[in-house]
Amino acid sequence: MTEPVFPKSWKKESKPHKFCPGCGQALALKILGYAIDELDIAKKLVYGCDIGCSLLTWDMFNVDTIQTHHGRVIPTMVGFKLAKPEAITIAFLGDGGGYAIGAQHLVNAAMRNDKITVILINNANYAMTGGQLAPTTLVGQKTDTTPNGRDEAVFGNPIHGPEMIAAIAAPGAYIARTTSNNFEDCKDKIKKALQNQIDGKGFSFVEILSMCPVNWKTNTVESLEYVDKNMANIFPLGEIKND
Amino acid sequence: MIKILLAGEGGQGVQTVAKIITEAAQARNEKTSFIPSFGVEQRGGVSLAYIQIAEENIPYPRFETADIIVAFCNRAIKAIENYITDQTIFIYDSSAISDDFLEPIKSKVKIHIGIPAQKIAKEKYSTKILNMILLGALAHQLKFNLEEVKSATHKTLGDKFKTEEVEKMNLDALAEGLTLSENFDSKSEFVGSGKPEIKLEFSDDKKTWTRFPEHCKGCGLCVFRCPVKAIQFKKEVGFLGNPLPEVDIEKCIACGMCQRTCPDGAIRLEKK
Repeated sequence: MTEPVFPKSWKKESKPHKFCPGCGQALALKILGYAIDELDIAKKLVYGCDIGCSLLTWDMFNVDTIQTHHGRVIPTMVGFKLAKPEAITIAFLGDGGGYAIGAQHLVNAAMRNDKITVILINNANYAMTGGQLAPTTLVGQKTDTTPNGRDEAVFGNPIHGPEMIAAIAAPGAYIARTTSNNFEDCKDKIKKALQNQIDGKGFSFVEILSMCPVNWKTNTVESLEYVDKNMANIFPLGEIKND
Repeated sequence: MIKILLAGEGGQGVQTVAKIITEAAQARNEKTSFIPSFGVEQRGGVSLAYIQIAEENIPYPRFETADIIVAFCNRAIKAIENYITDQTIFIYDSSAISDDFLEPIKSKVKIHIGIPAQKIAKEKYSTKILNMILLGALAHQLKFNLEEVKSATHKTLGDKFKTEEVEKMNLDALAEGLTLSENFDSKSEFVGSGKPEIKLEFSDDKKTWTRFPEHCKGCGLCVFRCPVKAIQFKKEVGFLGNPLPEVDIEKCIACGMCQRTCPDGAIRLEKK
């Protein structure tokens, strides 16, 4: 009997997972799963997820998992790391938790150069609550709360998280932006971020651009294009800090 | 007082059916209550709707046994089991729910009405319309006439019908469901054909391409990411009522893009 192809670190019993069809976050998680497999760190790993769509990952992996609210997954994972330095901790959250309500946690963890890995999904809206304006929404992008598109004059410009964190990060931090549409690049960046933590160099942070076909109301082709052209244009991909 | 429980996959239109039925009941000046119940996910969980229709005031929106149950899918059966009594009218999609789920329920209920909604929707209309067929059957059991339901549908979904063809398709499906329920002879057999046989493996002498309908959500990433356009959507449906991709094994170059890109791990490609 052939079985579906999952990363070894995925929990088989909870599949199919609860993400919408075509969700970029599910792709990112698959890539994260392969990155964990390749580094062979599942036994040392503690995985924390935030509120929003990211909470759907609380039974995603076959690793110890903690779920918290509103960006506080970062201080929770920092606390875990302080108590058990040999553990490898991943904080997984969305753009709402990381850049809006929980921005202070992200900023302060970067300032302290805490040796954890933060993986943040940027899908340019608040997806679970039905697609409202998020700090990362592109100018002109239509959401539930901006039916005429995001107006610069009222809501400002989208936040560039990795650049912001890079400005305050200490030496040894690893900061990068990638997209879940590019399997190899995304896996490479995640592995580097995890390796940075394993080597004890410093704070590591990866922002993953991801598509949300349900709330963007786009079909598959349009979603892929929106990430590859519009989003990647505003949010340049690549390593922002690696030294 | 009539207590109705609807259960289906999220995205199948369970809550839409519930809205239309409450709308139709309100037009008759009856008291209604409707509470939706579903999980945290936006797509793919089991979605329930609790409806009560009564002449007197309704004291509490929840209930423990249902007079009419409409089941849309296999996974819904578990959710509705505890609401069944020997007076329940059980309406179900006989082309989507397999016999081993149905057998234990059929003996417990008063009437069971199998409507092959998914099959009809797929063949005559569009898979998105299967809820309208079941709505028609439910409306008949509640003794609404076609005109009442049609005007309630228009009131609820009017804005969503972008063209007249879409509206006509929905109303035709509604009428068909109603007729099917009218002509249904209680306790007689109009039952499920079970799970349709779906071809899972496609292979030639060099490679085997396998798909997993219980995991595929029909997002289409494999279809559009395939560099040689060897993957196409076909008529078979997956567990969300979505179209399933199928490979043209002669065109396939075994690059593995589909396996890598599938967010649900629903494709396996093996080279021999």
